[in-house]
Amino acid sequence: MNNVFVLIGGEIKRMKKYNILGASVFVALIWIGVLHFTEAEDITYLFPYLVFFDAVSMAMLMVGVTMFFEKQEGTLKTLLVSPINKSEYILSKVFVNVLSNILTLLLLYLYARIFKEIDLNILGLLGAVILVAFFHSLLGVILTYYSKDFTDLLMKMFLYSLIFMLPVILEQVDIISGQLIDKLIYIIPTKASMSLFLASTGLIETWEIYLSIAYMVTASVIMYIIVSKKFDEFAVKGSGV
Amino acid sequence: MIISVNEGGFIMFTVNNLTFRYPRNKDYTIKGISFEIKEGEIFGLLGPSGVGKSTTQKILIKLLHNYRGEVSYMNENLNSYGKEFYQDIGVGFEMPVHFSKLTAEENISFFKKLYKFKVDSDELLKRLGLYKDKNKKVSQFSKGMKVRLNFVRALLNNPKILFLDEPTSGLDPKNARIIKDMIKEYKDNGGTVLLTTHLMNDVDELCNRVAFMVDGKISEIDTPKNLKLKHGERRVDIEYEDDSNITKVSFDLDNLSGDKKLLDIINNRKIITMHSKETTLDDIFIKVTGVENHE
Repeated sequence: MNNVFVLIGGEIKRMKKYNILGASVFVALIWIGVLHFTEAEDITYLFPYLVFFDAVSMAMLMVGVTMFFEKQEGTLKTLLVSPINKSEYILSKVFVNVLSNILTLLLLYLYARIFKEIDLNILGLLGAVILVAFFHSLLGVILTYYSKDFTDLLMKMFLYSLIFMLPVILEQVDIISGQLIDKLIYIIPTKASMSLFLASTGLIETWEIYLSIAYMVTASVIMYIIVSKKFDEFAVKGSGV
Repeated sequence: MIISVNEGGFIMFTVNNLTFRYPRNKDYTIKGISFEIKEGEIFGLLGPSGVGKSTTQKILIKLLHNYRGEVSYMNENLNSYGKEFYQDIGVGFEMPVHFSKLTAEENISFFKKLYKFKVDSDELLKRLGLYKDKNKKVSQFSKGMKVRLNFVRALLNNPKILFLDEPTSGLDPKNARIIKDMIKEYKDNGGTVLLTTHLMNDVDELCNRVAFMVDGKISEIDTPKNLKLKHGERRVDIEYEDDSNITKVSFDLDNLSGDKKLLDIINNRKIITMHSKETTLDDIFIKVTGVENHE
């Protein structure tokens, strides 16, 4: 795994040079803007929602952007004939993506601590970002495998948000409810993700936190296996065959 | 490890009855080809586009896996090698493949870190005339500069075997000469090369052996010299001054020593030109593949 560190270093450098990190910081500034223009002084309960949005959507988007750049420039081909294996390639992308999400979390938290009132468990939130961004980065890799181009990837992400993010938020704010919905919603990964973020506010029961952690860890392992299995197929396509 | 020896050279690659079909294709792209690449030779894989040259190369560099037949590297099944295989090889793709928003130096330094054994990349950059531009973004490079940087990238780990696809494509004669000289030096230092190109002059100058591929099969495999002898005519044409006229005659190469007319021309006439009728690789390409070499 020695080359993972080289790949992570290279990935961070490219994220800077290709302005991907800049875009990520820009999105963080938009979230800060949202917090700034919120009338409420205490943003404890709003904060996890913003981090949830970021960890889910930006994780998928950022990994897709870097992979499409590599495909477009043919550099994926060069990486494939370098002494690295697919797990190093995949994990380095995911780690850097998670780091980018952590950076956003820290920027938002710093703003909130200085300019607003906030009372939540930052370590819990950090753990949630790691788990949720890890899973969704892997999901972003899968979506990239099956996307013809960047627009196609955006469409797939939009569909994911519509199907998996929206119901969770609507359920959370009691716009949709009911016994069946309350139970069924636990099937989708965004519910576990949301629960982990809200756990930092102390609103979630302990059993639900453990269930969500178990869900995200299991889902990440399964997702990693799928990403790894499908990698060769993507590599062949990405190498111009 | 036991290394087999064939005609004075270790066998780097053995390909035996290789067959390959892309998952979505009905037809096989590679149809049972067999060949060897010996250590220290430049082996040319030639043929028109779409006959399976690149596919064969992609199998040898482990980009394609689900093939049938046997491929071994250094007498071990190619499939038994993991990522360490790439410590041994260098690949120069036809199209330049660099991170365009990084400088040449940043590109080189990133890939260099992945290898255990590294060469002095500054020396390579100097030799290829890229040193003064090494801090420029690759997006500012001309096509020729990108091609040269490709070559540097392929040599970074001082590979045992180099896979080159059209290494002089898009280069001016001066830079093409530098690259060809470097390939020869690499070979003289014990390196092995698999060269894919449409430029028959390059093949003639560089390759020890060549294989012509047609429709997924190898139709000819030999040294360029043997191929020229095989496909050429064993004749010699002479133009000489006969009084004030120029006369052209042709002699059978196998009976030259006893030919009185030839001796008379050599002793008593002014010879204008004298050519043996061996053919060119271009002609062989057209004859063997049935395709004009315009690519």
